Amino acid sequence: MSTLIVNGVRQEVDVAGDTPLLYVLRNDLELTGPQFGCGLAQCGACSVLVAGKEVRSCVTTVADVAGQEITTLEGLPARWAKQKGITAEDEKHALHPVQQAWIEEQTPQCGFCQNGMMIKATELLESNPHPTVEQIKAAYTTSGVSPNLCRCGTYTAIIEAVQRAAAIMAQGR
Amino acid sequence: MATKSSKSIDVFGATLTRRQFVKTGGVLAVGFSIVGASPLRGETPKAVVAKNSLDPSIASSWLEIHPDNTVTIRTGKNDFGQGSVYTAYRQIVAEELSMPFEAITTVVTGSTDQTPDGGGSFGFLNDGTPNLRKVAAYTYQALLDIASKKMGVDRSKLTVKDGVVSGGGKTISYGDLIKGQQFSLTIPVRGELTSIVGLSVEGNPPMKPVSEYTVIGKSYPSSAIQEKVTAKVLWATDVRLPGMLHGRVVHPKTLGSTLVSVGKLDKTKYPHTQVIVKGNLVGVVAPTEWEAIQAAQQVAESTKWTDWKGLPGSAKLYDHLRNESDWDSTPVMKSRATKGDAAAVLASASKKFTATYQISYMKHAPIGPTMAVGDVKPDGMVHVHTHNQNPQELRGEIAKMLGTTIDKVIVHIYAGPGHYGRSNGGNAGAEDEAVILSQAVGKPVRVQWMRADDMQWSTQSPAAFSDVELAVDDQGMLAAYQIDHYMPPMQDDRPVGAVLAGLPTMPAPDVHGDFVTSTVNNISDDWIYARVPNVIERGHGTFQVGQKVSPIAVGLRDHSMRTPAQFQQNFPRELAINEAAVLAGVDAIQFRINNLKEERAIGVLKKVRDASGWDTRPSPSPHAAAEGTEAVRGRGVSLMLRDGTYWACACHIAVTPATGAIKVEKCTLAVDPGVVINPTQLKRQVEGGAMMGISIALLEEVMTDESGVMQDDWNSYPVLTMADIPEIKVELINNPRVGSYGGGSEAANALAAPAIAAALHDATGKILRRLPLKSAYVHEALTAH
Repeated sequence: MSTLIVNGVRQEVDVAGDTPLLYVLRNDLELTGPQFGCGLAQCGACSVLVAGKEVRSCVTTVADVAGQEITTLEGLPARWAKQKGITAEDEKHALHPVQQAWIEEQTPQCGFCQNGMMIKATELLESNPHPTVEQIKAAYTTSGVSPNLCRCGTYTAIIEAVQRAAAIMAQGR
Repeated sequence: MATKSSKSIDVFGATLTRRQFVKTGGVLAVGFSIVGASPLRGETPKAVVAKNSLDPSIASSWLEIHPDNTVTIRTGKNDFGQGSVYTAYRQIVAEELSMPFEAITTVVTGSTDQTPDGGGSFGFLNDGTPNLRKVAAYTYQALLDIASKKMGVDRSKLTVKDGVVSGGGKTISYGDLIKGQQFSLTIPVRGELTSIVGLSVEGNPPMKPVSEYTVIGKSYPSSAIQEKVTAKVLWATDVRLPGMLHGRVVHPKTLGSTLVSVGKLDKTKYPHTQVIVKGNLVGVVAPTEWEAIQAAQQVAESTKWTDWKGLPGSAKLYDHLRNESDWDSTPVMKSRATKGDAAAVLASASKKFTATYQISYMKHAPIGPTMAVGDVKPDGMVHVHTHNQNPQELRGEIAKMLGTTIDKVIVHIYAGPGHYGRSNGGNAGAEDEAVILSQAVGKPVRVQWMRADDMQWSTQSPAAFSDVELAVDDQGMLAAYQIDHYMPPMQDDRPVGAVLAGLPTMPAPDVHGDFVTSTVNNISDDWIYARVPNVIERGHGTFQVGQKVSPIAVGLRDHSMRTPAQFQQNFPRELAINEAAVLAGVDAIQFRINNLKEERAIGVLKKVRDASGWDTRPSPSPHAAAEGTEAVRGRGVSLMLRDGTYWACACHIAVTPATGAIKVEKCTLAVDPGVVINPTQLKRQVEGGAMMGISIALLEEVMTDESGVMQDDWNSYPVLTMADIPEIKVELINNPRVGSYGGGSEAANALAAPAIAAALHDATGKILRRLPLKSAYVHEALTAH
């Protein structure tokens, strides 16, 4: 048994401690935002936030993150609501500014990598609310264990969406 | 329920039947019937429809208008990220029906029991008339007939706005028009459901004039994006069936290995894991995914395979292709552009050159490896849950593999990673393996390929080379152009698990295959330099490298990838045209304009010239340098006509001669598709395609040894990252005069490579006629004497 705190909920999971977090999130907890892209921490499709830092859930074991605060794509609206002190009722209708920006900019093509792209954007904007284009590029290429890869080539749309998300956050909407 | 005798009306070749009155509900159901040799008008034979397909005699297959004025549309094509089925298709149907975009509330895609037409998910706009456009146009005409009768107003006096018919001082909505009644509209359809192109709607119903468009041309958002961003979408990777087990496949050691002995599994560690062996297919099936992964690794370590060294390997690839491949068995194709006497002009010309251009094998490399859930039921029904560009063709392939009929196979479709053409012939890799393992264990099995499987056991875009000979005259015009394209076939749709297991499949590409499975290399790049008097274009085909000498008939299997064959033909042509401009001493854009007649082609070139800050002058640049540690700069251009759309691209690059590293600093594209349906979606499609095109141009090359593909991950097969993207500018040219909409997406992929290669010459004065433009190859070219 391992204890995971995912999106603010404490969960007991009956898996071996060496099980990668990705399979537990997807198969045991039915949190399917993170995707299997490579299993090698080389692409970022599986990213989640652990204590606010982007990690690759495909190579992070359950034992590594037991008891730590994990946020998946599904948990982004609640994370934003908590940060802004929004009520539970309003939260039901709210999206995280990053998600809102991703929609307004029509960023995804196939969308399979975008879980990691939004997780990375959230990590970046929480520490740097007004990143420059160069800082955004650095976040997606050199800040993590590997670049976040998008095979459809939506990088331009991602940069524009991060900038829009920053603007939304600044407005507090 | 009162039933009245049915009465049929001819609607521009379709047949409208009012079958009966019903008390509640009511739907305008649009079915189809198959047209054989019979004419479109008059009696059409009844379609033979398999069970678990939409029955064309029960009309509701394509398009339903509901009493609440909402509409459901169905298409066999799936969204792979372009968003066209969720945006352009809705806009097209709304436009032809004169309804608002928002009325098209439901879009059903792909699943073989829920969609009517099949066909590969490519060419979504089908040169301006996708099936759903014609269906909507027929439906509109039928609605006018129904309204005319009901309102007692002549058809010619009726107008429609936002789904409300007006005339003679009366108005009625579509919903009220059909409420309580059931109509059946039979439309002519041709084709084969499980083929690569599926069914197509025939006939020529009147279409709404472009001048009256109100929905097309606006940037509606894609509903698919909202679902994906909020984690609401059901991805194929999310499918979990009751009792489902997790499978992994242990693929052979080489692309020609046979199984000697299957490896040992520690049953004390993995007590619930089963090892399945069928021919040369080895799989493990376990209750949990992590157990399946670990058990597969353990089995793989001690599984013994025969050795095989039947490939030429990357270093000898082009020698092998030119000198050892059989180019004689396959008929040589000539393009329709062939004219004049190029051979004679080339023989006597003074300004001419001869060159060879090479393009590497490339991986489609979807960001998620192929996966599927197979579910073979005790009663013989087979369900496949997956993400696929041609579910109906997959259905046929699975039926063939199992020796059953297509009515026993249902393919269920969900969202998934882009395949870029890899599954447009029905499979991406895991689908058949999931079915084989499910049949073996009697439970649903989810097969997920690992990254290494996807790199090494999937198909790839084939390598190609082209020989060019051309001459320019004293006026600086292209006087003669001759090109010979050489490429192995690129549509091997045999499911690889079935091949390994020794189960029935379609044949491998061969000389006598049909139009997609033959080794014939057609001319796919439309010739557009109409002022050139002497042109010869020939296509030479051969067999897949290694396939015939592989004991398991695998070798390097090839598959179409974005802008298939046209990319392999356009790269040599456009780079050669740049070189011709150099020979003529004329600016590369101006040289093209001089040799063109088509105003749209000239238009995209002028647009890209203006938008990119192009400095008009001959190449190379006066500052060109082939050595040094300082970056030198250059620019190049490319041009293409694809699916009714004209494209031009200018790339501005910086190259560091000492390292050979190229940085694309600016990429400018001009696109004239005729009518732009959705500017935002098209812009995003073009941006994405251009980035993938830069990735292909600079980085991507499948490296093989004599046994198989050597790359197994993203480190060994790198793709473009955000750090390397250029400033990108997309100029959309809305050109309503064209009267139609051309394809918008994949051609963007093909444009960067020749433009960058030309820019490299402009910057350095040295030419590299080989893709990819890896820094090592560039450095080698710059230091060559």
